[in-house]
Formats: sequence, structure tokens, C-alpha cells
Amino acid sequence: MNKKGSYYRYLNRIGWLYVTPAMALYCVFMLYPILSSLYLVTRKWKGFSNTFYGIGNFIRMGQDSVFWKALGNNFLFMAIQIPIMVGLALILAVILNQGIRKFRGTLRVIYFLPCVTSLVAYSVLFRILMQTNGLFNNMMLNAHLIAQPIGWLNDPFWAKATIIIALTWRWTGYNMVFFLVGLQSIDTEIFEAAEVDGASKWRQLISITLPLLVPVLLFSMVTSTSGTMQLFDEPNILTNQGGPANATMSAALYIYRQAFVLNSDFGYATALSYVIVVISGIFAFIQIRLLGGKDK
Amino acid sequence: MKRIVMGLMVALAIVVFVPGTMVAAGAKTVTVWYWDVNFNGYSMKQAAAVYNKTHPDVTIDIVEIPQGIDNKIEAGLQAGGSGLPDIALFQDFIIEKFVQNYPGIFVDLKAAGVDYSKFAQYKVGPMTDKGKIYGIPFDTGSTGFWLRTDFLKQAGLNPDNYQKNLTWKQITDLGVTVKAKTGKPLIAYDSTNIDFVRIMVQSAGAQFFKKDGSLDLRTPAMKQALTTLKDLNDKGLVYVTEGWNNWISAFNNGDTAGFLQALWIIGTLKSKPDNAGKWMVIPTPLLSGVPGAQNASNNGGSSWYVFSGSKNKDIAVDFLKSTWASTAPDALEFYNTILKGAGAMGTYLPSRNGSNYTAKDEFFYKNQAVYADFAKWMEKVPVMMYTPNYVAMTTAVQNANLLMLKGELKTVDDVIAHAEQEYKQTTGQ
Repeated sequence: MNKKGSYYRYLNRIGWLYVTPAMALYCVFMLYPILSSLYLVTRKWKGFSNTFYGIGNFIRMGQDSVFWKALGNNFLFMAIQIPIMVGLALILAVILNQGIRKFRGTLRVIYFLPCVTSLVAYSVLFRILMQTNGLFNNMMLNAHLIAQPIGWLNDPFWAKATIIIALTWRWTGYNMVFFLVGLQSIDTEIFEAAEVDGASKWRQLISITLPLLVPVLLFSMVTSTSGTMQLFDEPNILTNQGGPANATMSAALYIYRQAFVLNSDFGYATALSYVIVVISGIFAFIQIRLLGGKDK
Repeated sequence: MKRIVMGLMVALAIVVFVPGTMVAAGAKTVTVWYWDVNFNGYSMKQAAAVYNKTHPDVTIDIVEIPQGIDNKIEAGLQAGGSGLPDIALFQDFIIEKFVQNYPGIFVDLKAAGVDYSKFAQYKVGPMTDKGKIYGIPFDTGSTGFWLRTDFLKQAGLNPDNYQKNLTWKQITDLGVTVKAKTGKPLIAYDSTNIDFVRIMVQSAGAQFFKKDGSLDLRTPAMKQALTTLKDLNDKGLVYVTEGWNNWISAFNNGDTAGFLQALWIIGTLKSKPDNAGKWMVIPTPLLSGVPGAQNASNNGGSSWYVFSGSKNKDIAVDFLKSTWASTAPDALEFYNTILKGAGAMGTYLPSRNGSNYTAKDEFFYKNQAVYADFAKWMEKVPVMMYTPNYVAMTTAVQNANLLMLKGELKTVDDVIAHAEQEYKQTTGQ
């Protein structure tokens, strides 16, 4: 017994040794920033000097309609873009899984490629395509679909549409791959049994495929939601710093601008990022409850 | 034994993750950070070559930071000054933020003996704080109104009649005629910056801020500038673009008959050789009705600064002084070289007698001697006060302007109120 105890102690020590590097990195890059943010958030920052500000940053936040508008944009993108993207990804996955078998590998690569391109490169590319005299407008003008060029980057409404289109282009294939894996992991015997019972293809999709895909769906929704909460590169580059006139400003971009572009106010930026943390937490909680609840 | 080996491996892993701090810089190396290889980089390399003639033992290491140089420097300052160069280039409009928010980070070059009376005074203003002067002024952003003479001729106008001081009223009338005859709007306007309105406001010697640093948009100059822009837009003379490259292609491809910008755009114009002989530049139009208005303004321009935390700051200061701020023949010829080579016009007044300053330029309509004109206009440029909140102000104003051009804000007062509100919210002041 005693011998076994010392063996476990030995294992324990080795175990701790293994996790030491990870723990060290965690402390330096996660724990320390989180702790220091508790200090930052109470300060009014100005270059080298900063003064105690109490909850002043939060009071200021309450009056900052640009921030709330930015946060509203995050929700808007979430509410519109995620359903479109998940729907498209699901349709593509089902088609790839059942219909087209021949080019499945090639098509999978084509759909997956956008999400491995660099964020900056694709934002710049979309920017060029969608400017007033860009390819998008010219093609539609030539096809007589529109009489006037659309202000994809210039008009507050269309700029939002531009962001949604770009995000959908980039992430649909990524989510599709998860759905595809999910679909392939469903036992074909279930479908055979349904076939014998006389269930139509549609019925099978609704009653078998979708319910069994719920875990994958949940994963995809949670990652997409948190991804959209952190939306940064697209409004920064594609629509030029949240333009036109803050129409596509996102919360993360606004935080960055507060810290590095506008005022060097790291205290205020920290206070703003607390809001994002709280919202992201609530979202993850709700989604796990809503989608995961049925299984339990 | 095994455990010792494992411990060593873990230690090694940790060491690998800790960035090395052992990079030994040569004793006499001066590092310079800048952006834009062909303009700023070219100019600094010429200066280094001049200095190395007399100081072959000093290495000037010129490093390009293509994007976000301010952010990189600010991050370095927040980290206690680590990783910063000896010399860096700053935009004139951003420098007050650094001087005021980070006191003491730059070497006082006035105390180091630089004669600032020899520089254009509007460049010295922003780098001066409490009697100390921190930078070596570099290029001018002396502005003019650029016109496509071929479109003017198509509209039945003689370009020569417009090569003089005009008012915005006269320019608007010109635009109406050109638009009616050729269908071309007069002005390419980039909605992602504030250049157009800024150039107008500065031409009247007005400011965006009061002396105490608080926002002041309700000036006669600002109101007149916005009224003029709105009038141009209402008459269909403004071609709105959504970014720098888009804006450049608008006038380079002949979508508009003109635009308002500083002389450093010359390189961009010349990148389109088809347009040789077509462009001319006239003085910045007069914001008439506003006291102090002149036919001259400025847009952009940057200056060199030495960090006081630099180990080689004495060499760095000596380098800048003996090239960028010296009347030695070599130094003056250096200014002449960068004007020809990069289109970079310095603001060191003794350098203006160089041969390239008066040279005629075949690219322009009737071989206009554009540099001589810009140098002449540069003398009249008034000093502008930027304050640490300049970027917040430009963002708020450019956003409100766009809403006006889109018709969402109807009056000039609405535009100013909208800009003031956004400024108040984003700065918390």
C-alpha cells in the first residue's frame, strides 16, 4: 500500500512536470492579463500617466452611443448571417453527402478554401470587388440588373450587406465540413430502417438527420456566435474602419480603436471588453441549454 | 537520472519560449523606422549616404514599418520603451498626441542646436511644446487644385484663364460648365478621410480646436467649408469614393475633372503616363467670406524624431543635424536629389534654390514648373494645432460629412452637431 502511494506521488510529480510549460504560458498570457485588467478598468489612461477613475469608465460607456451601435451591429450580423450560413452549409453538406459523389473531394476543398485564406487578403479582395467601380457593380450594370451602381462600401445599408456576404463566403465551407463529418457518422442502418417504414427523403432529413446533427449544429452555432462577437478584420479592412459613418463598426474594432487609434485609453478599452466577455458568456450558456437540453 | 534529463528538457522548452534579448547592436548603429519605401525610405537613404561620406563608421539601419508604425511605437512605449528605434518618422497630425501623452520621450532638438528659423514655421508648430522643439521637419504637404485641361478644353474653356488665384465660387462655376459639357464631376472626394474639408479650413488659418484643446467646429471657416462642399454636392460635382485606391483610380482614370490634394500626389499622377500633358495645378481656391483666408494650404507631411531612450542618441542627433538641417553644400544638394528622385519637397527653406525646384516638368500641361509653384504657396501655409484628439475629430467629421453627402444630414448645422456628438462620445470629453 505504502509502495503504491509513493508510486502515485511519483506519477503526480511527473504529471505536474508535464503541464508546467502549459501552466507557465497560461499564467503569463491568460492569468496575468485577466488580473491586470481588473486594475486597468479602474484607471483613466493617457499615455504614460493614468489616474484613478473608479467606475467612471462604465459611466462613460453608458453614454457612448457609438459603442452601443457597434454592439448592435454585432447582434445584427449574428441574427442575419449565422442562420443564412448554417442553412447554406447544411444544404451543401447534404447535397455533397448524397447527391454528388464523383467530385466530392474536389468540391469539399473548394468550399473549404475560403476559410484558410488570410483574413486581410480576402478583405482587401472583397474591397476591390465591391467598390463603386468594382467588378460586382460593373457585372450587374452590364447585365442590366441595376441602373445605378450600388454603394456596397459607401451606403450604410449595403455596407452591412457586404459584411454579411463576405462572412458567409468565408465561413460556410468551414461549417459545411463539420456537417459533412456529422452526416457521415450517422449509421446508415437508421436510414434503411426508415426506408423500410416508408419515410420519404424529406421526412428522413427532418426526423433523423437533423436531430442527430444537433451536437454538430450546437458546436457550429457556438463557434460562429463567438466568432461574430469578435468580428474585427472585415469591418477594419473591408469597410474601412467600420465605415461608412460607423455603419459596420463592431464592438471589437471599436475597442481596438479606443486603445490604439483614438485616445490611447486602455482603461476605457478594458471596460468595453468586459461587456463582450459577459455577453459571450451568456450566449454560450443559453445555446448549450437550448440545444443540449433535449439530449439529457 | 531520467528525472534530471526531463527537468532539463522542460527548462529548455521554457527557454525557447522566452524571446532572446541578446541581439547585440553595433556600437555605432542608428536605427530608423519609417513607412513608404519610395518616398520616405528613399529620402532617408540619401541622407544616410551623405552622412556616411564623413562618418563611414556609423551604420544607419533604415527599417520599413509598412503598417501601423504609431501602434507599434505606442506598444513599445507602454512596455517601458523596449524595442524602439533611435529615430522614427511621425505624421505631423499625430505628434501632439505623443508629445503630450508621453512626456519626455523625444530629444529636445532645439537645445541640441537646430536652427528652427530656417524651417517653414507651420511645420515647427505641432512639434513645439513648452518651449522645447522635438523634431526635424521633413516634407511639405503644400496643396493645390488639380485640373484636367483636356476636359476644360472639351467644355470650351481655356485652361490658361484659370491658372491663377480663384475662389471656391469660381471653381464651382467652372465645375458646373465642365459637368454640363462633358458629364464629368469636378471633384473626386474620398469619404474615408477628412482631407478636403481640412485643406479648406487650414487655408483660412482656422483651427478645429480651441487653445485649451477643446473641440471647436463652430468656426466661420468650418461652416463655409461645409457649405461649399454641400453646394458642390447638390450641383452633382462631387464623386464620392470609399477609400484611397478607389479615389486615386477615380481621377487617374478620368472619372472626374479634378481634385484637391497636396503635391506628394505627383508620383501617383505620373504612374499613369497616358495622362502626360493633361494635368495642371492651380492655387488652393479661396474660402471667400472668411477672415484670414488665403490661396494656400497644407495636407499631410511628416517629421523625424529621436527617442530620448536611445543609446546612440548623440549620433542620431548629429546625423539629422548635419544632413536634414544643414546649409553645407552636400546637405542642400541632398534636398535637391530627393525632390527629383522621390518628389519629396523638404521644408528646409535654404534648400529651395536647388536646380530641381525651378525645373519645368514635361508631364504637366504646358510643362508647368509645379515644384516652384508649390514652394511659393508653402510660404503662406498657416500653423495648424492638432492636439492628442485629432484622429477622433477627423473620424467624427468625416462620418458626418459622408452623411451629408448621402443626404441623411440636411443642413451644415446638423453636420456639425452630429460630428460634435460623436466626438464627445468617442473621447468621453
